[in-house]
Amino acid sequence: MGVEELDRDRLVWMYHQMLRIREFEERVKRTFEEHPGVIRGHTHLADGAEASIVGSIATLRPDDQFFATYRCHGYPLARGTDPKAMMAEIYGRRDGLCKGIGGSMHLADPSTGFLGTSGIVAAGIPHATGAAWAAQIRKRGQVVLCFFGDGASKQGAFSESLNIASLWKLPIVYVMENNGYNVHTRTEQEDANRAHGEDLSVKAKAFSMPGVTIDGRDPVAVYETVGAAVARARAGEGPTLVESQMYRLSAHGNIIAPPGVPLHFPEHEAVEKFGAPEEYAAALKGDPVPAFRGRLVADGVLSAEEADTLAERVREEMQVAVSFGLDSPFPAVETALEYVYA
Amino acid sequence: MAHELPFIAAIDEAIRLEMERDDTVLYFGQNMATTENEPYVDAFGRDRVRVTPISETAEIGIAIGAALSGFRPVVELYMAEFMLVAMDQVINEAPRFRAMSGGQVKVPLVLKAGFGFTAGWAGQHTGTLGALFMGVPGLKVVMPSTAADAKGLMATAIRDDNPVVYLHHYLLTLEHGDVPDGEYLVPFGEAAIRREGGDVTIVATGWTVDRALGAAATLAADGIQAEVIDPRTLAPLDTQTILESVDRTGRLVLVDQATRHASASTVIAGEVAEHGFSSLKAPIVQVTALDATIPYSQPLEAWVLPDEDKIVAAVQQVLGSAPVTA
Amino acid sequence: MTASPPGREQGLRLLATMWRIRLFEEQVGLLTRAGEVDGLVHLSVGQEGVAAAVCSQLRDDDAVYSGHRAHGHAIAKGAPLGRLLAELMGRDGGLCRGLGGSMHVVDVEHGFMGATGVVGGNIPIALGSALAARLRGLDSVAVVFFGDGAAQAGHFHETVNLASLWALPLILVCENNGFAEFTPRSAHTNVERVSDAVAPYDVERETVDGNDVVAVWDTFGRFLASARGGGGPFLLECLTRRLRGHYEGDATKYERASAENDPIERFRSRFDADEAEAVRAGAEAEVEQAVRFARGSPYPDPGLFAAMVYADA
Repeated sequence: MGVEELDRDRLVWMYHQMLRIREFEERVKRTFEEHPGVIRGHTHLADGAEASIVGSIATLRPDDQFFATYRCHGYPLARGTDPKAMMAEIYGRRDGLCKGIGGSMHLADPSTGFLGTSGIVAAGIPHATGAAWAAQIRKRGQVVLCFFGDGASKQGAFSESLNIASLWKLPIVYVMENNGYNVHTRTEQEDANRAHGEDLSVKAKAFSMPGVTIDGRDPVAVYETVGAAVARARAGEGPTLVESQMYRLSAHGNIIAPPGVPLHFPEHEAVEKFGAPEEYAAALKGDPVPAFRGRLVADGVLSAEEADTLAERVREEMQVAVSFGLDSPFPAVETALEYVYA
Repeated sequence: MAHELPFIAAIDEAIRLEMERDDTVLYFGQNMATTENEPYVDAFGRDRVRVTPISETAEIGIAIGAALSGFRPVVELYMAEFMLVAMDQVINEAPRFRAMSGGQVKVPLVLKAGFGFTAGWAGQHTGTLGALFMGVPGLKVVMPSTAADAKGLMATAIRDDNPVVYLHHYLLTLEHGDVPDGEYLVPFGEAAIRREGGDVTIVATGWTVDRALGAAATLAADGIQAEVIDPRTLAPLDTQTILESVDRTGRLVLVDQATRHASASTVIAGEVAEHGFSSLKAPIVQVTALDATIPYSQPLEAWVLPDEDKIVAAVQQVLGSAPVTA
Repeated sequence: MTASPPGREQGLRLLATMWRIRLFEEQVGLLTRAGEVDGLVHLSVGQEGVAAAVCSQLRDDDAVYSGHRAHGHAIAKGAPLGRLLAELMGRDGGLCRGLGGSMHVVDVEHGFMGATGVVGGNIPIALGSALAARLRGLDSVAVVFFGDGAAQAGHFHETVNLASLWALPLILVCENNGFAEFTPRSAHTNVERVSDAVAPYDVERETVDGNDVVAVWDTFGRFLASARGGGGPFLLECLTRRLRGHYEGDATKYERASAENDPIERFRSRFDADEAEAVRAGAEAEVEQAVRFARGSPYPDPGLFAAMVYADA
């Protein structure tokens, strides 16, 4: 019950999804300038993480499930959730995915197995673990993917959940997206393993489960490794910790400021806080989206023209999403009281 | 028909009946693999009944994930203070998902926890914490005081599609009561009038209900007829029954084993002051724990907590007060 | 700098400490059944070796924290028996003037910074003491005792990461008796040894037979010398067994240790019988004196504790 081989269609699909995530996130970022005031609060972008997101989501069956973090836009896009509803949600509108009540950090689309998102670091890890228990009881071979950042691995919720998942052999794959930062803190400033020069996947040893580190900028490598872990889980062999290394290309999120101060995205922390512009420049050079394009074109999977056409389609698609979001009215105020209790 | 059961067995009966009725109900928590819990494993299997390590954040978070995924978990937490280890999951996760998703999901789960181990269990095990949760939208808070209600409220809690904090007082554990046979549901948001009377309304929660009834018997010997109301659920709270009673008696004494500003009685006092002011003939009087970490030594522990004598004194105070001018 | 095994005098003192704990705890058991000690009490019978071997190598300025099974650690750290028993009996002469009880005993004078009723709750707190020692440039250390059940709590792992990252003088001492409350370890985790739970971190660790006082003494001594010299953190896992239930009144049936595994029996054989008996008799007399003291101590005045809710400005 392995993961399908990647044929041309699949590879093109993966590239297409990476483009869609990139363009969607770019449009979210541009909204701050083009339509100030429309996005409120705090939003977090997945640019730089596309390869890992798409490579992971590509391993799932339709009835599998996944949980994410406040940086949650990429996964539902790859899974087939309508970007119009997503943008409207980020804009707080009536036609938003969650009727405007959740916002950027709390997307949910249970119809695709995306059961909901917590904005609290690591809080979703036990949630995913519980969904995996449910899957184990149902015995339909479902698997749960649990996405979180390196920062979450220092939370007690991480260790408690992995211990239980290992003990109960739950059908879950924990995908740790290590982008080198936890908000404004560099990983080596807060993580004993990183400070001692180790990969974070070594943490799996504490729970008697396999741990593996991969290059999260290579969607095929991600697909193969996460796919193998998913197959393991589906076969009842228990959980795996996958550390997917990458770099986030935007700052942690838009600035946090009281009303009156226009919100915007600042420079990446490497530049703004740590005086390491060369680190950021190197990350841009390793940008997974153009890198994958280059690889596909070089391998003859895609011509340059076909790649350009895809990019144009994606630009149009996300323009429609933005317009849809802007045109959607605000929800009726009474909506605030409608979903307090089931 | 009914049969007599101790409080704790009545709760178990409800859980068992619900697990028989609905195979999506799960039951798990620490120490669930001890001999007396083997019947649950025998009856329902190790898929649905599991022991966990000491990992409250994961236990409650796992319950949320399983609930999001279509199951109805009951988490055995043993003591309310252990919920504090995982406050994020209780207050900022479980009750938020339905709203934040715009109604797409629901989180049906029950957090079962004993509380009020006020028998020398000292500062970290004796709290009455229900009111910390009663103001959280999306969360329901239940506090039975009789064996029958313990059964009926647990059954309702399991069938409720929302997260429910189910608190059962330690000192009531072995209190016997008549419990209806078979399926028995007590609705949320309906207070019970335990004793009728026209001179004063006493609202009491959990273990203090029996203390209030004891005080009422003492007062009756002096010709004072007290009405004793047990809200049974703190959220939803049946303010209507309380207001109607205060309208009849004009005087209100509120009893809660929690500390003053974290008590259900303070919340009720606010509601009555706002919506029932014209019914009051005297200021409201509250009998709560004093503001301190519950001490270990028995005379101090007793001094801090509400008891019958303090309730009697409170009634005398509210009756002796000069009437509020209309 | 390696530690040396306990010499004869030190050995006799260790034996005395172990007897003091054993006889004290047995007395507490009797008093609980008689209703003179109430509430929730967890006894250290069978686990005296670890408390004695660890705490007797520490100074008053080394901070020791414990869990709910704390009497042995407090006694080994120097808490006077009479004041400890008075605390368990809720008297004003108690270490905490009757306010804390068994799970909340504190003896700051001897560096016993506290027990707790929340499993693993003191582990992050002990790290704070270790940090304070380092910030002040002192060579004191922090030691925290906990059971194997605490190793699955999130705050244990959170603490280990920071202790390792900051290389603090924290010595984690796990008394692994194979049970957490009423559940065997195998139902809590796949990881058999608590020392393996810290495998990913740069924590010097060792597992020893907790009933072998010399083994505990040796290993802890090495860790202690290193911690005083700027090293840390460390994990010492002591395999041991409770010889009584989880708490007094625990009627659960599960396997019990035999007398062969009794740390006192094993250690006393190194001394000649009269010597050992004199030590035991001395401890017995101390415990009897403690009972008299505690029974003679009055109950606290209720007004007293109102002043103890907040520290004075």
